[in-house]
Amino acid sequence: MSPMNNPQDLNPSSLKSRFTTRFLRALTKINGQKPISSSSPREMFQRYRRIKVAADKSMAWSVRSRRTWSRAMLWKLRSRYSCRQASSSRRSSVRTSTIIKSRQAKTSHEKENKNTTTGQDEVGFVVQADKLRKLVPGGEAMDLCNLLGETAHYIKCLTTQVQVMRKIAHFYSL
Amino acid sequence: MDIGEKDKYDLEKRNDNNINYQAPGMSSDWQFGGANLTSTPMSLVASDNPLAIGSSCASASVVDSFGSNLWEHSSNSQNLGFCDISVQNGASSSNAMGIGKGGPTSLRSSIDRLFDMDGNSSSSMLKGGFFLPISTGILPQSLSQLPADSAFIERAARFSSLNGGNFSNMVNPFGIPESMGLYSRGVGLMPGSKDVFAISEMKSVSGVESQKSKLNATEASRDACLQVENSATLESPLKNERKSERLVRSNEEAKQGTGGSGNESDETEFSGGAGDQDEPSTLDGTGGEPSAKGLSSKKRKRSVKDAEVDQAKGGQPPVEAAKDSAENQPKGDQNQTTTINKATSKQGKQGSEASDPPKEEYIHVRARRGQATNSHSLAERVRREKISERMKFLQDLVPGCSKVTGKAVMLDEIINYVQSLQRQVEFLSMKLSTVNPRLDFNIEGLLAKDITQSRAGPSSTLGFSPNMSVGYPPLHPSQPGLVQAAFPVVGNNADVICRTLGSQFTPMTGRFKKPNQILNAWKDELHNVVQMNYGTGAPADSQDVNGSLPSDHMKVEL
Repeated sequence: MSPMNNPQDLNPSSLKSRFTTRFLRALTKINGQKPISSSSPREMFQRYRRIKVAADKSMAWSVRSRRTWSRAMLWKLRSRYSCRQASSSRRSSVRTSTIIKSRQAKTSHEKENKNTTTGQDEVGFVVQADKLRKLVPGGEAMDLCNLLGETAHYIKCLTTQVQVMRKIAHFYSL
Repeated sequence: MDIGEKDKYDLEKRNDNNINYQAPGMSSDWQFGGANLTSTPMSLVASDNPLAIGSSCASASVVDSFGSNLWEHSSNSQNLGFCDISVQNGASSSNAMGIGKGGPTSLRSSIDRLFDMDGNSSSSMLKGGFFLPISTGILPQSLSQLPADSAFIERAARFSSLNGGNFSNMVNPFGIPESMGLYSRGVGLMPGSKDVFAISEMKSVSGVESQKSKLNATEASRDACLQVENSATLESPLKNERKSERLVRSNEEAKQGTGGSGNESDETEFSGGAGDQDEPSTLDGTGGEPSAKGLSSKKRKRSVKDAEVDQAKGGQPPVEAAKDSAENQPKGDQNQTTTINKATSKQGKQGSEASDPPKEEYIHVRARRGQATNSHSLAERVRREKISERMKFLQDLVPGCSKVTGKAVMLDEIINYVQSLQRQVEFLSMKLSTVNPRLDFNIEGLLAKDITQSRAGPSSTLGFSPNMSVGYPPLHPSQPGLVQAAFPVVGNNADVICRTLGSQFTPMTGRFKKPNQILNAWKDELHNVVQMNYGTGAPADSQDVNGSLPSDHMKVEL
């Protein structure tokens, strides 16, 4: 009755399968680094952080650069990583912070433009729009229209992520 | 009328293609060739069929099933994303099977099945799910009138000879990520050149295939020629809008099948050569205006957007679209240059759009009756409509928002939903950090249906047992207070989970459509984890422990 009996029917290039592949790879790598049994709480927390980053990264990679939010997320992850790498040298952090500031300046400028042209029915949005911008990666630099579109796609990817992770967790908790 | 026949043929073809396109086994409800499409979206969107745990999601509406899905114990039943909701009957049985904590084999198989279905249907269902509401939203707005002109007919015939999947009007901005990207690109081009722009983005292209697209393209081109025709006839003065109509490439809408009835009405209108139709309730297949009626100001731009709905068909339509638009341009430009020059001279904007054939982004807009024809206000209106369209789409994505009216409240809901999803990801990553079976993750095992428990189960239990056996024996004599020490792994996990999630969850409860259900499911899960740690009454047998992680292993082991 359902066509899902065949594994071959799976779309290998779907977002879900791409994400799953990458995420599982990352998980394997993380799990291979340190055994669980000897984890202290602190290590547990580290592993949690790493897994979370891996999840975000694999999701962003699955989307590649097609979306603004994925690009922003990848950029953020990379910059954070490079910041950590170069933590001793303050230059990189300064550089990234300046980049971030310039971006914010640009976005604020854009926002001003947007606000001036905003119609009356959008006055109430600004607050929520700002909140949404903070939630969606890369949302700072988008106008409301694109922001909504990005949010839609971001929600879709998040739900995929949640589904896959839940399945994995369930699968391996049995 | 031959054009009418063409429409019908197109519709049929589209239906067939839709049917073929969708995975077999999908319910026919979602084949939107039907004329009842307009009714179905409302029912689908509005229906509140609660998705019981483990029950089939056949009847679940997009909103509800999604909301309840997310927060249930059994991850299987809810693993249908909003995409899956559309798959009603076909998938439901598979979903219903084996859901629950029962037989792991069936569970896993159902997981895999769901996964497969998700993978298969996501794109198609997404599209389906998307444009149904969109189409209904579009209905009141779309409007096109056909000049009953012999010249028009002739031109239409000429245009129909142009082949190729001209996706110019087929836009499904939200159908697929790719299409979304294309759409945004297209939109981005819009403000660049033109004056006034109607966005034909509403057309959801999903389900349009290359064959269909050809027919659609012809109609689209017909549409364009209609507009050209109109401008030529109506033109000279830019009258203040008497009537504004949004030129909608209703072809797409028709294609979507929402226009099952719309097409017919189009044909009737067309044949009748009806006069002003202000926002016909049905979609007009070919946007046009009665030549007799003067139109209000026209600024026009042809919008040609490449919308790729089909990932599979990705290659063809855009190529065809580009080709087609290129073909269209030369023909259209001849007419357009003259008319547009006249039309836009008043505003002093010049038809750069008319002059370059390869340019693909045009948007037609007409000012509505009684509204300013200032280019700025028109642009703003277009922008606002875009935003409202996207809000509608988001409304379908986010469960519990169908009844919410008002953009501010909607945005609040959306924000809460995104936050909850992010928190869920955090929670799951926390869970995963404790669950490690220390084995190679079997990807096929997850994705394929026929992974058997024998393969992965014992190994995972083996992987687990050393962990748990260390912690477990001290549990027996220990009192609840000591349990935390004995279960450092799970204990911390639960503590963190409880703290982070419990505190953060409370603000959300008021928001969702079924907060109780969600909250209960969530709390149950938390409690399960907590019980594991804080001393079940008879810890020896772990009878009270329903927790997800090691408790099952405990039972198995002992």
